[in-house]
Order: sequence, then structure tokens, then C-alpha cells
Amino acid sequence: MENSQFYLFIRGPLLWVAFVIFIGGIIFRTLQFFRLTQKKPPLTYSPIKNHEERYGKSSTLGRKMQLLVELKNSFFGQNPVVALVTLFFHILLFIIPIFLLAHNLLWYESWGIKLLSFSESTGNILTIIFLTLALFLLLRRLVVAEIRALTGKADYFVWVITVAPFLTGLICYQQWFNYQISLMIHILCGEFMLIAITFTKLGHMIFFFLARFFVSSEYTLGPGTRIWK
Amino acid sequence: MKETLRAVNNKKFQKILDQKKERMKFLLSFCAHCGLCAESCPLYRNYRKPEYIPAYKAINSLGKIYKKKNNIDLKLLEEIKELIWKNCVLCGRCYCPLGIDIPGMIALARSICRSYGIYGVYPHSLGEPL
Repeated sequence: MENSQFYLFIRGPLLWVAFVIFIGGIIFRTLQFFRLTQKKPPLTYSPIKNHEERYGKSSTLGRKMQLLVELKNSFFGQNPVVALVTLFFHILLFIIPIFLLAHNLLWYESWGIKLLSFSESTGNILTIIFLTLALFLLLRRLVVAEIRALTGKADYFVWVITVAPFLTGLICYQQWFNYQISLMIHILCGEFMLIAITFTKLGHMIFFFLARFFVSSEYTLGPGTRIWK
Repeated sequence: MKETLRAVNNKKFQKILDQKKERMKFLLSFCAHCGLCAESCPLYRNYRKPEYIPAYKAINSLGKIYKKKNNIDLKLLEEIKELIWKNCVLCGRCYCPLGIDIPGMIALARSICRSYGIYGVYPHSLGEPL
């Protein structure tokens, strides 16, 4: 009885608290970003004409070469293994919780929302892949001297916060231990991660999109209309 | 020795720190310490040592200054000097996948050091071998 009351508490009010802090954190960080940046002033000089304006349209081979050079200079070219691991790690981090069948059933039960879902076995395999990638990133932190020099206690803490919901989710699905207790730990870990996004360096989830899309730079992915104040 | 341990927390110093405090803390708080900026630094690619990783330079210069805000002495600034002048030419080529403005952070650390008369002297400018 005590267990079920606690379960209802973490599935109800505590989940709302986590969601409110998570959404509030996103709004707060976004506003902070816009306060710390300003609109990019117009150029006061004529920019150098680009290659196309100067020499006419380049050949297909030329464009391909240019793309290859850009790729080689990007960190996909410099460090392809880590770049791909990081990319898939982050993609899985987003899609697994959103498209997991068990989660979608909860969405449907609570609000009648139907989302696209993975089959249970796909969700299971993707979680295992995610945990393997996370292990790779942890080993990289422990083994590579350069990364070890940058790593502090907070980095390991953030790694644990990120991995715990997935590991406990896998334990729940496989029912390796007491299901009810595993499930409650899983929910708590998920809620803790949502809350931690606002207060820890997991906030780079928000910062990445703001800085890479809005701040003007050579590597901008979006309009790049702002600069730091 | 006394001189090097002299606390530098006077108004002038605090003013520089406070001017960009929010922005710098904002940037420092999001660094994932992933080390992916390393390969973008021409000096790191030459020496292959952690002290040349852009994030390492920013965290151990400006990061330390903000961390030890009320406990900064000239000795710390002297230590930072090596990192931000000898190990960085501020070429602006560092690339952070998250979009953190690393050159801006190192430039501010340089301004802070300069305000105390601490600045880098390049060996070749003294006629020493590189």
C-alpha cells in the first residue's frame, strides 16, 4: 500500500514538478541567452565577393571537392569515431524516451495522445546501443589523457544522471529485479534528469540550439543573426 | 613572495569581473568537457598536450578566476599567464561543437591579467630562440 502511494506520488505531482522545472528552465535559459546577446549590426564594409560571383558557377567536381574539404576540416573529419558516437548517442537520448511504446501508452492513458512508437524489441535494442555508446564515452574520459585532464567530478555525475534512466528502464523491461521497485527508481531517475537539465551542464541541450543557430559564426547552423554582448 | 600572494580583490578587479560575469558563467556552465575543440587548435595539433586544448585554457584561466573570486592572488594570475599567452595565440580558430565562445573567454582572462600588469612576452620578441 505504501509502495502504491509512493508510485502515485512520483507518477503524479512529482512528475508535474519535474515538467514545470524542465519547461521553466528552458524558458529561463532562452531568455537569458537573448539578454546576453544582441542583434548583429550591419556590415560597414563590402564583403569579399564569393567564389561563384567572381569566377562563375563552379563545376560539380569543384563543389564536391569543396564539400570534401569542409568535411575534412570539421570534427567529423578530424575525429570521425568520436563524432559519430556522440551524434548517435544524442539522437538516441532524444528518440528513445519519446518513441518508446511503454511511455507512449502512458501518454495515451493520461491525455489520449498517440505518438509513433518503436516495437518493444526495437526499444530494447536501441537502449542497449545507447548504453554501449555511453560506456564508450565514459571509457574515453577515463583513458584518453587529454580528456581526463578536462574531466572533473561533475562530469561523472552528469554521466550518471544521463545513463541512469536508460539503465533502470532496461532493468524494468527485462524484469531482472523486483519490477515495482525498479520501475519507481526508473521514474525517479527520469524526473531527476529533467530537473537537472536546468541546473547542471546538461543545459547544453538548450544552449546548443541557441548558440549554434542564432550566434553569428563561421560554423553557424542557422540564421546567425546575433552576437554576444 | 608577499607581493605575489597579495590579494587582488580590489574594486578595479571586481569591476572587470562583474562586467561580463553573467555571460562568462553562462558559457562556462555549459562546457561539457568533451575535448572536441582540441583538434581545432593549431597549437594543440602541434604539441598534442592537454594544456593546449582550448577548453582547458579557458577553464583553467577564466574558470579559475571566477571560481576563486574572493581568493585571487598574483601567483594565480602568473600561473594563468602561461596558459593564455604562451599556449594561445588567440587566432580564433577554436571550434566548440556547442557554440561556446572560447576566444572571448581567453581574451577576457588576458584583460584581467593585463589590468594587473601581467602580460605575456613572446620569447622571440626578446631575441630568445623559439
